Amino acid sequence: MARVVQGRRVGGARPPAARGGGPPPRRPPARSSPVPRTPVLRRHPIASLEARGRTIRDPVEKLRFLRRSLERYEALDERLQAVPGAPLRWLAFRLTGVEEARPLFSGNPWGALDPPRRARPPLPRRARRAANVAALLLVAAAGLALASYPRSRPAPAVPIAAAPSTSPAEALDPLPRGVAPARVWMVDSGPGFELYSNGLRIETTYSIAGEPRRYRVFEIGQGMGSEVLDRPVGIVYHTSESDIWPLEESFNEKLRDSSQNLLRYLKKNRVYHYLIDRFGQVFRVVHETDKANHAGMSVWSTGSRAYLNLNGPTVGVSFETRWEGGRALPITRAQFEAGRSLTDYLRDKWSIEADMCVTHGLASVNSRKHLIGHHLDWARGFPFEALGLPDHYRRASPAVVLFGFGYDEQFLAVMGEPWPGVEEAERRLEDEAAAAGRTVDELRRERAGTYDLWLDEQTREAETAEKAAAATARRAASGG
Amino acid sequence: MAENKDHLWKSPEDSPEKIEDLVKGGSHPVGIDVGTSKVVVSRRGGKDVACASQLNAFIPVPYSPVTERTIQQQSDIHYYRDGDEIVIFGSATERFANMFNAEARRPMADGLLNPKEKQAWPVLEAILQSLVPKPRSSSEVLAFSVPAAPPGREAQLTYHEASLRQHFTSLGYKAMAINEGLAVIFSELEDHNFTGIGVSCGGGMCNATLAFLSIPSIMFSLPKAGDFIDHSVGEAVGEHATRVKVIKEEGLDLSRTPADKLEKALHIYYEDLVETLVDTLRRTIARAEKLPRTERALPIVLSGGTVKPRGFRELFERTLRGRSFPIEVAEVRVASDPLTATARGAHIAAMFEK
Repeated sequence: MARVVQGRRVGGARPPAARGGGPPPRRPPARSSPVPRTPVLRRHPIASLEARGRTIRDPVEKLRFLRRSLERYEALDERLQAVPGAPLRWLAFRLTGVEEARPLFSGNPWGALDPPRRARPPLPRRARRAANVAALLLVAAAGLALASYPRSRPAPAVPIAAAPSTSPAEALDPLPRGVAPARVWMVDSGPGFELYSNGLRIETTYSIAGEPRRYRVFEIGQGMGSEVLDRPVGIVYHTSESDIWPLEESFNEKLRDSSQNLLRYLKKNRVYHYLIDRFGQVFRVVHETDKANHAGMSVWSTGSRAYLNLNGPTVGVSFETRWEGGRALPITRAQFEAGRSLTDYLRDKWSIEADMCVTHGLASVNSRKHLIGHHLDWARGFPFEALGLPDHYRRASPAVVLFGFGYDEQFLAVMGEPWPGVEEAERRLEDEAAAAGRTVDELRRERAGTYDLWLDEQTREAETAEKAAAATARRAASGG
Repeated sequence: MAENKDHLWKSPEDSPEKIEDLVKGGSHPVGIDVGTSKVVVSRRGGKDVACASQLNAFIPVPYSPVTERTIQQQSDIHYYRDGDEIVIFGSATERFANMFNAEARRPMADGLLNPKEKQAWPVLEAILQSLVPKPRSSSEVLAFSVPAAPPGREAQLTYHEASLRQHFTSLGYKAMAINEGLAVIFSELEDHNFTGIGVSCGGGMCNATLAFLSIPSIMFSLPKAGDFIDHSVGEAVGEHATRVKVIKEEGLDLSRTPADKLEKALHIYYEDLVETLVDTLRRTIARAEKLPRTERALPIVLSGGTVKPRGFRELFERTLRGRSFPIEVAEVRVASDPLTATARGAHIAAMFEK
């Protein structure tokens, strides 16, 4: 084979690497030294990784080092994002410089259309210790900063009640009767927006089609129904758990950027049908008629009907905020008002029952371990009443009462105590067990078995439908 | 069709190109470049990395016992019988195309499974089967290359990627797809911590990827490459595309003044291809919303059969210099072995996942 010409500089920053021609050069033997440890508290993570990467000569080892280091930075980033309070988080990011590595956090590191699922390694002990020390330092620094904070400074225009408090979330006032129109209809629409009679304005510039909505309902005590449905019958409320900057004029650019970045991410991954940003703007992401990714493993019920995966039957509405434990209301008044108008519009358009308007935290489950509260956003503190909805925190948890689900230590560590509906459901289970002369554990196991059966049936049915659709597409493509 | 034609296979043990011949035993990850023009496989054999390839083409000839016996007497011909035809595939195709004075057919077009070719999947499956042995254990990893999604053809890429994944999984491999440009970066830019631009110009399309520390930031594909040059030149000078390809591969020198009409046309279409490629690269990088901050200039590495003519690198560099480029470029170089760079990169990815 012809020997290839080697490179020359175009920009002139570094001399080209010396390379031989002909067949691929044999690589020097792999370095047997251990993979360098991940740097954690570095102001410039990329430069640090570059320097360490250059010391590894085996390509596979080098790739392992780079990929694992980046995954650990991503895990650190997630940990720092959980630091309570935006100014404190901002300081944490400044100290660690982890934001610099953020463009390298990729859900698709092989560049394929269908990326493999990743199992992210936990932070090593050394890194965890460093992160904890950093958090302590941050708390101390924040304390000092607060002590020297000028008292005459005006309060932010719309405060975010992000700091944990012991009092329950404050419910906003219900809308006075007679203000809202009895029906909601589209008044105007144009490129990038829709305007409705209740004042709701939906921005449609990020709107995208999802997978066709297709689901079946389970009849309690019977099993999966035969009818395939394609209309939404519920709403699931979420929090975006994204970057939240202080609502102050000086952060305008950050506030705008983080919302735009979030919307791009949601559009790319087809997450949620609606996002309500910090200023109360309502953005449509996935079309309402299609399925979005927002509440995959979840359980909810109304009357004699049970739903095992709420992506199919519900519309996902997310507030751009962090839940922060739900002991304070984490949304702005503008978001609340937009949420109320959007709920009215959706309920009117699709005839959605109030019983089917639920939060993600109340419905999310870990299907494998039969645990409730796999995701906990709005597991406490959602202003149901102010949105004209029943308080679902008091309603017996369907996952517990129908399928015997429980909760674990992690759940209690975040929640402190389960919401009242879980206790109500457990009381019912105890009563039923006593009436049947069985133990609660036996009853739970039996009901968890029913859940597994139903879930399996649902999965197989979805796979069959998918295969049939693919076969139809193939037949259409081959002209037969 | 695939499931009931096993008895018609010529024994794969006869294949001189079969990768298993190059591997002495043990469990080894596999990297495969599934290209429009060629399928290249890379696998570690002892201390070295070994590559094997097959032409991704076929030609059906009428069946007769005499023809089949003649074919059987030659050990380097792969074929299967399909009703009243014998389908010859792989590297022997060109020989038969010349013999029958016919154009070779391709299972793939523009980097993806050819939707207009009825035989596309059975033939590609046969070619892959002739190159890839059955895994020795269920945990053997196989990484195969896929192009970046061509604009408007995402659904076709989904089908292409899923079909290949399904095929390799059914063989017993743990299959993973890797972007073609990224694979080039893995095989050629290790010295740069897998940071830079990998360009792969094959038969059906050009693929380019910009990666930082092994993570792809920008990927695009261009449905214009070697086949485009062959057909355009063929139409311009009234020659068969197959003959243009032969002349192109036999010794085209883009740094020399063209000697005849055909060479002149080859120069023109090569320049057109490079102009389009550089321009798309420039526009895509300029439009990128967020690139990681880096102080250093980035290398560009060129690979694939289309970059093989002498003078291609200089043409690319000249075109690049003639434009304002949004990032600083440290060097432009041709891969150490342009034909196997993608497969070797996929092999590194497979070893990573092992």
